[in-house]
Amino acid sequence: MKKAVHYINQFFGQIGGEEKADFEPVIREGVVGPGMLLKSLVAPEVEVTHTIICGDNFFGTYKLDAIEAILGYLQDIDFDLFVAGPAFMAGRYGFACGEICKAVQERFGVPAVTSMYVENPAVEMFHKDIYIFSGGDSAGAMRKDVPPMAQFIKKLATGAELLPAKQEGYFPKGIRVEAFKHPAVPAAQRAVDMLLKKLNHEPFETEMPMPKVDRVPIAPAIDLKKATVALVNSGGIVPVGNPDRIQSASATKWGKYDVASIERFEGGVWQTIHAGFDPSFANDNPNIIVPLDAVRDYEKERIFGKLHPYVYSTVGTGTTQADASRMGREIAQELLEANVSAVILTST
Amino acid sequence: MKLEVGNFYVKDVVFGDITSYCDGVLMINKEEALQVVREDDHITEADIILAKPGDPVRITPVKEAIEPRCKVSGGVMFPGVLHKLLPAGSGRTHALKGSCVLAVGKHWGGFQDGLIDMSGPGAERTAFSQYLNICLVADTDEEFERFEQQKKNRALRWAGMRLAEYLGNCVKELVPEEVEVFDLPPLHERPREVQQLPGVVYVIQLQSQMLEDGYNALVYGWDANRMVPTLMHPNELLDGAVISGSFMPCSSKISTYQHVNNPTIKRLFEEHGKTINFLGVIVSNLNVQLEEKTRSALFVRQLATQIGAQGAIVCEEGYGNPDADFIAVVNELTDAGIKVVGITNECTGRDGRSQSLVDLSEKADAIVTTGNVSEFIRLPPMERVIGELVALARDGNSGGWEGSVKEDGSIEMENNGMFCSDDNTGSFYKTVVEY
Repeated sequence: MKKAVHYINQFFGQIGGEEKADFEPVIREGVVGPGMLLKSLVAPEVEVTHTIICGDNFFGTYKLDAIEAILGYLQDIDFDLFVAGPAFMAGRYGFACGEICKAVQERFGVPAVTSMYVENPAVEMFHKDIYIFSGGDSAGAMRKDVPPMAQFIKKLATGAELLPAKQEGYFPKGIRVEAFKHPAVPAAQRAVDMLLKKLNHEPFETEMPMPKVDRVPIAPAIDLKKATVALVNSGGIVPVGNPDRIQSASATKWGKYDVASIERFEGGVWQTIHAGFDPSFANDNPNIIVPLDAVRDYEKERIFGKLHPYVYSTVGTGTTQADASRMGREIAQELLEANVSAVILTST
Repeated sequence: MKLEVGNFYVKDVVFGDITSYCDGVLMINKEEALQVVREDDHITEADIILAKPGDPVRITPVKEAIEPRCKVSGGVMFPGVLHKLLPAGSGRTHALKGSCVLAVGKHWGGFQDGLIDMSGPGAERTAFSQYLNICLVADTDEEFERFEQQKKNRALRWAGMRLAEYLGNCVKELVPEEVEVFDLPPLHERPREVQQLPGVVYVIQLQSQMLEDGYNALVYGWDANRMVPTLMHPNELLDGAVISGSFMPCSSKISTYQHVNNPTIKRLFEEHGKTINFLGVIVSNLNVQLEEKTRSALFVRQLATQIGAQGAIVCEEGYGNPDADFIAVVNELTDAGIKVVGITNECTGRDGRSQSLVDLSEKADAIVTTGNVSEFIRLPPMERVIGELVALARDGNSGGWEGSVKEDGSIEMENNGMFCSDDNTGSFYKTVVEY
């Protein structure tokens, strides 16, 4: 028999409502609240041995503390699976479920499963990392939402064949692999059938959903003479030694480097840590990735107002669209606060 | 234009005294067949080895697949390539169904070549494991490309075509077990009730990204790189007007076998007069420069619009850079008000997490996917190898690398190197699903 641990918030943990949202994480033996239903549905293959309860506000405000405390509790117990929620449409609860599932999965290497409503923002944030089942928007859906989750947990426990996301009922994790069985119809027939549906205005389903293309409208023109211009790049230009340990591929971090006192990047002082191209030219002369030298000349010629004192760097290769947008948002926020009016964004 | 394809269903292939076909058995006089192969002095060594479904056999480097066929009337096999330039697509053609000539390098492979397992877990990865394969295993004196990663494989591919025709000729005078009729009159001669059905065009984007002669798909012997999209009768493709090239990772390639058996074209024929009015085929290409991509997409749009297409199926022979040509055509046709379905494979990486295509469009909302080129495949050793296994690791195969071939004969590779396995003409049931 496999063992599972269940995470719930203060409300479902029967600690209290909003007034108890600051409740610090605790671990209890056995199940609490929705854990009863979960326990009955995953038996006998899986036993829910412990329940962790944490206030939503506590988790949101002291995320790192909450995660550390919970990982600490789990350190001492033996478990194979981690379950959180369901979190329905609850934003803070969904966020907590997503964060803790991801952290537990990374630390202990056990699969983590939760459930939420499609519009819960945590779905977009965590669906690529953990199994998030598609659930209802309120606790009224509990009896409907727990069974598919439980069924899947049993499959994970017994090593049964897992079906594609849509068939299992979780939000696709973005892992696209070949299949020979679903469905066993030649591509020519699938294509003609799809075309006939499309021609007849009947619903059809693409086999390759297009990732959403974010189109950003071109910003209004600025007065260049007064503009503060910042240099941002995904070419991995950092001080030698990479002090922020930005990953060379699939980056999740960005760095901010003071260039107020330098006229150009010197090789040997600056380098690229980007793993997606031959770095020898960029290491010799990092200005070919981030044109600090040329921009300084323009600054002196008063083509624009002034250069922002920091350069922002990350690495573009293999980086997921989600991480790239998050880093973009974070950098943009800093630039806004510093009244930067224009950015030169260079890639490789 | 009316084409009759007389089918002979081959159930076994054997060597014997006379090249002949009787009761489902194709007998091959090996010496005589090899004489046909050796008509080209560039062939220096040649043998024919049979590989049947279920055999403990691994075949590589496979360069081309051709269905044994002959023309009985109304033209020649592979016009402009093997024989003089005559129209294809009418009269009578006889085909030895279920059998297949494979052109296999005796030693040397390259970027574009493929691998076929006739049994075991690898067999389910390409439809070519299901055929009675007549493997022409040969070497050539094409020294200029012996150690090149990109090979034209001309002598071997042409020898394969000659061998396929030689074998096909043995049923020239026989009565086929089944006759398929492909009859599609000119647009204005179709009955009114057919003309009132939604007009559908098939667009095939042939691989044509090599600038030098000898690598790209051929249309009546003409390099698809040196043409703008053109309107063809589907029968022309079913009768050998289009020849596979020798470029592109193998899983994305469309072999000559697949061109003459194009299941999408056949399926559209079946629907013609019932649910659609099958207008024809726009043969397009895949290009290197943006302006060329745009020009071809504009031509496809114009041709499709002018013949009154309301629906289109677009097939891309390739992935990566050609995704831009594919998306450009989907966009142009959609903008012209034509409903589009695309057939393509994708490149999602070994972990399946990468973006499927290099170019995206919300207009590409109806795609049939045929495979992940970078799917990681591990296969156990096979009792016998036809060709040379180390070619997978040594010769720059798109699905292999140094270390692909283990000491015990087991292999690690990417789907990229599986012979014509994704097949965007649509014969295969493989797809990609999301977890």
